[in-house]
Amino acid sequence: MDTLQHLMTGVTAALSLQNLTFALIGCVLGTLIGVLPGLGPAAGTAILIPLTFKLDPTGALIMLSAIYYGAMYGGTITSVLINVPGEAASVVTCIDGYQMAKQGRGGTALGIAAIGSFVGGIFATIALVVVAPPLAQVALKFGPPEFFALMLVGLCLITGLGGRSLLAGLAMAVLGLLIAMIGIDPVRGAPRFTFGIPSLYDGLGFIPVVMGLFGVAEILLAIQQPHRQVIKTNLASLLPSREEWRRSVGAIGRGTGIGFFLGLIPGVGAIIPTFVAYVFEKRLSKNPERFGQGAIEGVAAPESANNAYANAAMIPLLTLGIPSSPTIAVLMGAFIINGLTPGPFLFQERPDLVWAVIASFFLGNILLLVLNLPLVGLWARILHLPYSYVCTGTLTFCVIGAYSLQQNVFDIYVMIACGVIGYGMRRIDMPIAPLVLGLILGPFLEKSLRTSLEMSAGDFSIFFTRPLCLVLLVLAAVVLVASALRLPPRELREASSN
Amino acid sequence: MPKLTKCLSVAAIVLAALTGTATAQQDFPNKPIQLMVAYPPGGSTDIAARVVASIAEKALGQPIVIVNRGGAGGQIGWTELARQRPDGYYIGFINLPATNTVILDPERRAIFTEKDFTPIINQVLDPGVIWVRADSPYKTVQDLIDAAKKSPGTIRTATTGILSDDHLAILMTEEAAPGAKFRIVHLDGGATQFKEIMGGNVDVAFDNVGSIVKRVQSGEVRALAVLDDVRSKFMPDVPTSKEAGYPTVISNSTRGIAGPKGMPAPLVAKLQSVLKKAMEDPEHVKKLDDQGIAIKIMIGDEYEKYFAETHAKAKKYTEWAKNRPM
Repeated sequence: MDTLQHLMTGVTAALSLQNLTFALIGCVLGTLIGVLPGLGPAAGTAILIPLTFKLDPTGALIMLSAIYYGAMYGGTITSVLINVPGEAASVVTCIDGYQMAKQGRGGTALGIAAIGSFVGGIFATIALVVVAPPLAQVALKFGPPEFFALMLVGLCLITGLGGRSLLAGLAMAVLGLLIAMIGIDPVRGAPRFTFGIPSLYDGLGFIPVVMGLFGVAEILLAIQQPHRQVIKTNLASLLPSREEWRRSVGAIGRGTGIGFFLGLIPGVGAIIPTFVAYVFEKRLSKNPERFGQGAIEGVAAPESANNAYANAAMIPLLTLGIPSSPTIAVLMGAFIINGLTPGPFLFQERPDLVWAVIASFFLGNILLLVLNLPLVGLWARILHLPYSYVCTGTLTFCVIGAYSLQQNVFDIYVMIACGVIGYGMRRIDMPIAPLVLGLILGPFLEKSLRTSLEMSAGDFSIFFTRPLCLVLLVLAAVVLVASALRLPPRELREASSN
Repeated sequence: MPKLTKCLSVAAIVLAALTGTATAQQDFPNKPIQLMVAYPPGGSTDIAARVVASIAEKALGQPIVIVNRGGAGGQIGWTELARQRPDGYYIGFINLPATNTVILDPERRAIFTEKDFTPIINQVLDPGVIWVRADSPYKTVQDLIDAAKKSPGTIRTATTGILSDDHLAILMTEEAAPGAKFRIVHLDGGATQFKEIMGGNVDVAFDNVGSIVKRVQSGEVRALAVLDDVRSKFMPDVPTSKEAGYPTVISNSTRGIAGPKGMPAPLVAKLQSVLKKAMEDPEHVKKLDDQGIAIKIMIGDEYEKYFAETHAKAKKYTEWAKNRPM
């Protein structure tokens, strides 16, 4: 009952004109990011953080969350219309969505994607409301050793699941942790790796770094992509026929379930749920040969899974403080610069904020449906924008954004340097996700390790004598060993390294 | 004639330039003043700063803008404050003894010293407090100290950061009760302390009255002692360390406003009078009272003397902390 009361307070807050406006702006910007090929949700969320800098924390987080799931949705449009996923999670949608568009059923493909996303998003948010408070209660009992072990599990999952090899993943995770060590030592106060530069005393700013690694790097990569032709398709009839409805209902339900459960596991990433949902539908179908030829289930299932995943991935962030994907890590960075540390304690300390943000997910999903069904033609037009303008505009925006964080030119240099590094890493196929996770979790990992050792007066047995902590550490080891032995299915690894 | 006009106008400009510096002080302030807080928004220094700024700016006739420069335990903000021009348009909060220990700890390599600030006015003096979970076996300070003597180095005792006033208070307690030794755990603030105390991961916490007063009043936690020689009006039932027989364990955290070194006396005086009036304003008093934060106005010699004394005391315990084995 307590939950319901909190949720109602949250809905009231989210419905205030101000917050509703922020959610709307976020949804529009997010969809735009999704539509612009090359710019993914992580990049979009990162480069738009400076926009929210002057807002109050609730408004800022509502807007950034809306950008996040807006972008997760927006990628569909390009998948269907130009066969290029606007963001990685829409890869699968290309297969049947583009075929549908070629057959003149593009409107229906986008329509079912919007409806599926809506159902997936709403269901996952309801589940979030039910699951999150008890989970946060349990997590409140965690001490520093348990949090240390939990973060280690998260890092191992990201490292083990993402990327072409465990070694590459580990190297990037360690690099992320090392970068996180720049600045004043969180316990003893000694400057580390600062080379006497005052701007480095507070560490490399997370936001300029991710703006570079994702935003700038993705623009550099996109410049090299050939320009694709926008398909002319019928966008007038968005609603599926009765037969198409019949096929889609089950697919949406199954996709939602798959997306939700995979969203709970850190490291799975946004692509795997869509991939699993697609394969599952194909295997279940009586005539699987229709897949790849414009089967509506092939759009409905992955799109539902995608949005259910996007909302479910908020659960580990809000209850445990563990980001499960790079985009969520960026969102976590946004929480932190607003002076809030996501995790069980936030539920207790700032229920007003947490519940307003959760309530805004419901509104955001409704807004997205409204934005996407009637306005899909408008979004399709944005695809005609010459990419040269888009690149230049986005880069300019990045530079202004990085500067505006602290009115410090140093942040611009950091962003550009990270952009070049991020570009290079993608060219040599090094996974970025473990680096970003290491970067955001590094300070927390270090703090919990050192607090644990202070609790035990330097005795490492504290990690092995607390049952829950031991279980988590064993789990982390199992994940690493399993991925070293290449146990995760090949498709899974390939899907996540894309 | 035009020549004369030209000459006169040049003369006027030169005259204006020459008197510029003098008038700049007289019409101070003629643009917004930045008030730096060396902690992120929402902390208790920040809350109190916003209250005083909102009142004082009305009297000053210019806005007072709060600039949060958090990070590195305040070091970032204080570094910035020390490097500003002493023209009165950039002033900031210093938090004694945290500012002192940042200067005194060689490991931190601070690029400012205690001589780089002009103390203007103190706003808050928040006494230290020792508190435990409501079901803790320790009912009094004496219980705690007896336990720390009986099994030294086992009682997990939380600070709000290394070389914070709370850390120094633990050392003072050890000094006052020879043989007692605590196992010090550095946490990063009152919220974390509460979480770890409730989770049973630490046994006792040293913090300040303002951070924990509401939870003491609601009975969620128990305060063992206020580290002062008079009782706190917010926790009148809690004995002081002096009453408990440890009169040397006096610890607190103060918040006051300072500028960079070399601020002209008229500017300091102007700021002092405006800020003092703002701090005596009923609105300021009420808002801080509601937070459980004790106001303590100190200006001029009194504040400078307090700064020097705190510095000397902090020096002693900082050196001790650096040499104390884990």
